[in-house]
Amino acid sequence: MAALLQFTINGLIAGSIYALVASGFSLIYSTNRFMHLAHGATVAVGGYILFTLFSLLGWPFFASAFLTLIFTGIFGVGLFRFVYLPLQNKKASNVVLLIASIALLILVANSIQLIFGATVKSIGLITVSKGLNFYGAAITPLQIIIIGVSIVIFVALYVFMKKTKLGRNMRAVADNKELASVVGINQIRVADWSFFLGSVLAGIGGILIGLEQNIFPDMGTMLIIRGFTGAVVGGITSVPGAVVGSYLLGLIENYGIWFLPSGYKDAIAFLVLLIFLVFKPTGLFGLSKGVKQ
Amino acid sequence: MTLGIKAVSKNFGGIHALQKASLDIKKGSITAIIGPNGSGKSTLFHVISNIIKKDGGKIEFEGKDISELADFSIARTGVARTFQEVRLFKNLTIKDHLAIAISVDDECLLKNAISKPDIDEAKIKEALRLVNLDKPLNTYATDLSYGQRKLLDLAVALAKPHSLLMLDEPVAGVNPRLRKEIKAILRTLKKKGETILLIEHDMNFVMDLADDVYVLDEGRVIAQGKPKVIQKNKKVLDAYLGE
Amino acid sequence: MIENYILHILILMSIYSIFAVSYNVALGYAGLLNLGHVAFFGLGAYTSALLTKAGVPFVVAFICAGVIAAVFGYLLVYLTRELKGDYLVLATLGFSFVFTSLMLNWRWLTRGPLGLPGIAKPNIFGLVIKGNLMYFIFVLIIAAICLYIMWRIVSSPFGRLLEATRDDELGLRVLGKNTFNLKAKAMTVSAFFAGLAGSLFAHYISYIDPGTFYIMEIILILSIVIIGGVASFKGSIVGTIILILLPELLRFLSISSSILGPLRQMLYAVVLLGLLMYRPRGIFGRVDLE
Repeated sequence: MAALLQFTINGLIAGSIYALVASGFSLIYSTNRFMHLAHGATVAVGGYILFTLFSLLGWPFFASAFLTLIFTGIFGVGLFRFVYLPLQNKKASNVVLLIASIALLILVANSIQLIFGATVKSIGLITVSKGLNFYGAAITPLQIIIIGVSIVIFVALYVFMKKTKLGRNMRAVADNKELASVVGINQIRVADWSFFLGSVLAGIGGILIGLEQNIFPDMGTMLIIRGFTGAVVGGITSVPGAVVGSYLLGLIENYGIWFLPSGYKDAIAFLVLLIFLVFKPTGLFGLSKGVKQ
Repeated sequence: MTLGIKAVSKNFGGIHALQKASLDIKKGSITAIIGPNGSGKSTLFHVISNIIKKDGGKIEFEGKDISELADFSIARTGVARTFQEVRLFKNLTIKDHLAIAISVDDECLLKNAISKPDIDEAKIKEALRLVNLDKPLNTYATDLSYGQRKLLDLAVALAKPHSLLMLDEPVAGVNPRLRKEIKAILRTLKKKGETILLIEHDMNFVMDLADDVYVLDEGRVIAQGKPKVIQKNKKVLDAYLGE
Repeated sequence: MIENYILHILILMSIYSIFAVSYNVALGYAGLLNLGHVAFFGLGAYTSALLTKAGVPFVVAFICAGVIAAVFGYLLVYLTRELKGDYLVLATLGFSFVFTSLMLNWRWLTRGPLGLPGIAKPNIFGLVIKGNLMYFIFVLIIAAICLYIMWRIVSSPFGRLLEATRDDELGLRVLGKNTFNLKAKAMTVSAFFAGLAGSLFAHYISYIDPGTFYIMEIILILSIVIIGGVASFKGSIVGTIILILLPELLRFLSISSSILGPLRQMLYAVVLLGLLMYRPRGIFGRVDLE
């Protein structure tokens, strides 16, 4: 019983991280209609900027975190403006954009490695974490914060998408690009904002991972695979769906290693991804647009 | 040999594209399907060739039920067709197009890799002559004008072994001289005993070419008969004018 | 020493030319969007290495490498038959990740991250291929045969059908051709030769681990196919020469190996991005990457 609870808690923690990655990815996908796999690198960028400002330069934590989010958001918009937009202007297909995003992912990951080295780094805000006992399962205060912050963010995101003008514009573009521009919505500005916000979400993920675990140059690849899988499970065109899907993935992964050796965690994520792509690519909550043409 | 379309229906999430449409196409005839935009004509073609799955009804070709066959299998039973939008292989040449249409055993990997079978150039030249397309065989499809592409499209359908020819708007967007040429080509085909089913908007084109006319409106067959009779049919005029 | 180094480069070029051309057959000629092609290379490598370690003669292991890869090639086409566009691409990517993950975790078979060391040099009916010169002649002959076979396939009427499948699959279906079978055959052939290339690679390098067949390799052959030109045979060969040679030039800049590694990867990523943005048809390409 305690084991089940532990796995559930671990699943929720992992799920929170994946959901932060997946929500940004899904936001960008639904607004721009292509897969920005370099989003994983954005998470890494977030983690490393925080590391630089807080651990290396010694600036105060919350100021560092705030600046990290701003820089990460701008980074995301930069990728859009310098790579994706020029390609879109050349009428590049979604497949080409996807390939470009993979190249970007590798480029950024290796740049990080060149600058910071390949060894794992930790951010060291909270040095030793003692787990609190929760009905027989252990959970640290930081982990509680991770789950809590994530849930708050997702609720805020949901409200933003439903109530604010920008949020509605994004959903309009996601729903029907042509109609949205006819109605006068500036597509490029909406795209800019989708990249900014999506990347900020990635930045939050990077910060939390940096605090809870550690950062390393290739962390983006593993994270985008999880985030993408979560988004596919929930429905890649639905941001709330991506969040739910990610929590589900976190839980499946952690229940899965009850039966399998823990090294199989990666394999579980890939298998879930493959199964959904083959049998239910629209996910649990997504729309059918754009899958089988 | 006939094509029997029996009470065929197709629904697109609330839009009734076809509603129990029935048609009987006779061998050796030219049958035209006309009707206002959105009346279901192209959908009918897609359903016959099973590019779109029908929701109800039965389709028989040469006495056999083809309702459950895959799209390429239906093509193999002898149905050749064109599309409203010209569909060509943009990186292939005229020769490639016709060679593909003519060949029946090119799908076997082993046979093709081991022996290099000769393409029947005579047949290809004949197919081009039929449509009067006088262009070098190694011309790429993308280097042809719109009219020439329409002709190649037609040549490909003709070159493919078939006993039924389905043409979706063969003269759409084509200049008057080419329209006359294509009409002449279709007349020649009919003299040779070909069975042709054609969708067209151009009433004049249809009227002195077709033996039989079916009129579709909102997925239903609202009239059927000889061209002269259809022209005077009140329901037909209403359908066209009322849209 | 310098001859050994030059031979080393030539050997790699020969092996990768088989790998790259096999990729072009599927991607360039048949239009099969597949980012998991490296899995076939890896399957071939692991199959050949494991079989020879178990005492199976090299010639048999070599053929099996191709066959096993081919079987998975068919499996991939079958699993993804309903998918299009970026979903298809991602499924193929996921496929290669599953492969890497299995190689990492199936420790009793593959020794997981420790990899397989000591892969024997090919022993063909008593003749052992050792030394770079012998190995180069060996792979050159095999490459010539493989490339010739693939050339025959793509320039045959069958190859023409593959190109038609790429250009307009529906248009080809209404002409009565079974495009699923065509795609399956194309992928199977493509995977077969990738598997053979993997075997040659394993027996040359003599040590393989799951990390060897990671996402980087896909960037490499994607770049090769694009730089040479999609659906261009000679383009793939030229592309292989260029892209194998390029990072080797970095060696002469006397930088430490901890920088050389990421720099090599960045080079490939930048080349790929540059191609996509400024010259997607590459040098000899006629066809656009869709």
